[in-house]
Amino acid sequence: MKARWDIFCSVVDNYGDIGVTWRLARQLVAEHACDVCLWVDDLRAFERMCPQIDVQQDLQWQEGVEVRHWPAKWVKVPAADVVIAAFACQLPPDYMEAMAERERVPLWMNLDYLSAEDWVVGCHRLPSVKFKGVQKYFFFPGFRPGTGGLLREAGLLERRRAFQQDAGAQRDFLQALGIVPALDARLISLFAYENAGLASWLDVLSTDGCATHLLVPEGRILGDVQRWLGVDRLVAGDIQQRGSLTVQVIAFVRQEQYDRLLWCCDFNAVRGEDSFVRAQWAGRPLLWHIYRQDEDIHLDKLDAFLELYTADLSPAASAALIGLWQAWNTEGDMAQPWKMLLEHWPEVNLHAEAWCLEQGLQADLATALVQFYESWI
Amino acid sequence: MKTGKELKPGTVIRLENDPWLVQKAEFTKSGRNSAIMKTKLKNLLTGYKTEIVYSADDKLDDVILDRKEATLSFISGDTYTFMDTTDYTMYELNAEDIEAVLPFIEEGMEDVCEAIFFEERLVSVELPTTIVRKVAYTEGSARGDTSGKVMKPAKLANGTELQVADFIEIDDLIEIDTREGGSYKGRAKK
Repeated sequence: MKARWDIFCSVVDNYGDIGVTWRLARQLVAEHACDVCLWVDDLRAFERMCPQIDVQQDLQWQEGVEVRHWPAKWVKVPAADVVIAAFACQLPPDYMEAMAERERVPLWMNLDYLSAEDWVVGCHRLPSVKFKGVQKYFFFPGFRPGTGGLLREAGLLERRRAFQQDAGAQRDFLQALGIVPALDARLISLFAYENAGLASWLDVLSTDGCATHLLVPEGRILGDVQRWLGVDRLVAGDIQQRGSLTVQVIAFVRQEQYDRLLWCCDFNAVRGEDSFVRAQWAGRPLLWHIYRQDEDIHLDKLDAFLELYTADLSPAASAALIGLWQAWNTEGDMAQPWKMLLEHWPEVNLHAEAWCLEQGLQADLATALVQFYESWI
Repeated sequence: MKTGKELKPGTVIRLENDPWLVQKAEFTKSGRNSAIMKTKLKNLLTGYKTEIVYSADDKLDDVILDRKEATLSFISGDTYTFMDTTDYTMYELNAEDIEAVLPFIEEGMEDVCEAIFFEERLVSVELPTTIVRKVAYTEGSARGDTSGKVMKPAKLANGTELQVADFIEIDDLIEIDTREGGSYKGRAKK
């Protein structure tokens, strides 16, 4: 009999929570034949990346996943065989009672945040609290062996490579989104939180000898783009030209489309967790805007990733990449770091593919979760 | 009641009716301002050891413990003998029970520690917040810095390494803050 998985997603802010859990739910169904129910407390946020969702429906099926609205007032349901609380969300108390009432206790996991820090290996798969005999475990995604790995669907890298080798497919895809870059233009995607450092980057891109076509999905960075352009409002479809820089605003797209967008671009600025991982699978140079935390803890996490990511780069290329990422995450001046990165572009470009392939050797997160469940029973 | 964040070596919590001694506790900020505490626990009834991760806000039943002042009497292999300073009773602990403070335990130390008892059995000791130790080895000052901002490695008599100010020399006495793993605080008066 198929195992039933309940995944709980509380949308706190932005789209990382739902982005990760939606990918995970679909992969568990498609590749591991699991019965998956995704409980989401904010269907409006979900609708942004899955437009076919009916936000009025408390129960619906999407791509083989049972999607249920997680109501403020919980209605008692039986607990599943495997229960995932994503990003340390608190399960409904009545659901926890239902877990304890099961004849056979479920596997209860806290799927935690992604981090490159070395402590993750020591905490991954460790037990935590017990609720009436039901043991909770911590499960950490990660980049190192000994962690839960990253979300990666079967055949993803092969599909990506084929797409990147097919200029016609890329052109058609971009055209369908209304994107027609100049032939020699550098294509960059920009998905980020608010960032005062953006203006200095756009300044240098607009005066560069090489043309840049900047694609900006609707989101939090748009205000900074508007300010730099000196316009009151930007909406999807708007195109603005400043010197050698073309800025184009695009609509928030489905996850599959966003993947392809990343695959088309020469450079991807991403943020948070989900788009950060997807940009790595694109095999192209990237810039990460990490989620800001109190006491600048996020900068330690940024450094931990950079230490891993740049380990195989030459000292000069490594310094250039680190300089750019640190400037971006401290809202510093981006002009000089960007120029430095361009000097090492061929090496950084090759490295992005090598890093992707290296990470692809690890078991993916969904498989690691299934393996943990199988070893647990 | 204690939260996960409040756990520290020497705390005893009750899990499924058994008392468990926290031998080690490592606090880490996870994502989006949440935090976890990785603990190494020892069951005080069976001696069984395990590792458990708690969220910072997990609530745990703590056990009220007795505390007395004690000093280190002597070390024999992995066994550390402490003496109650009021009635001179001797108590033994093994290295694992005091793993968190072990780097700053050395023969001849005169610090008055806080001995922690569970049902009249010594289970752990805590060092004072500030202790003084002699530097057994360190390189000479590299830059002649006197500000205390430039740091360099140094070794204590028991082999523990820590970062000290660049102006510290061999045989200098230094103050160490024993909280959160121990860190150099400043030069102590001789």
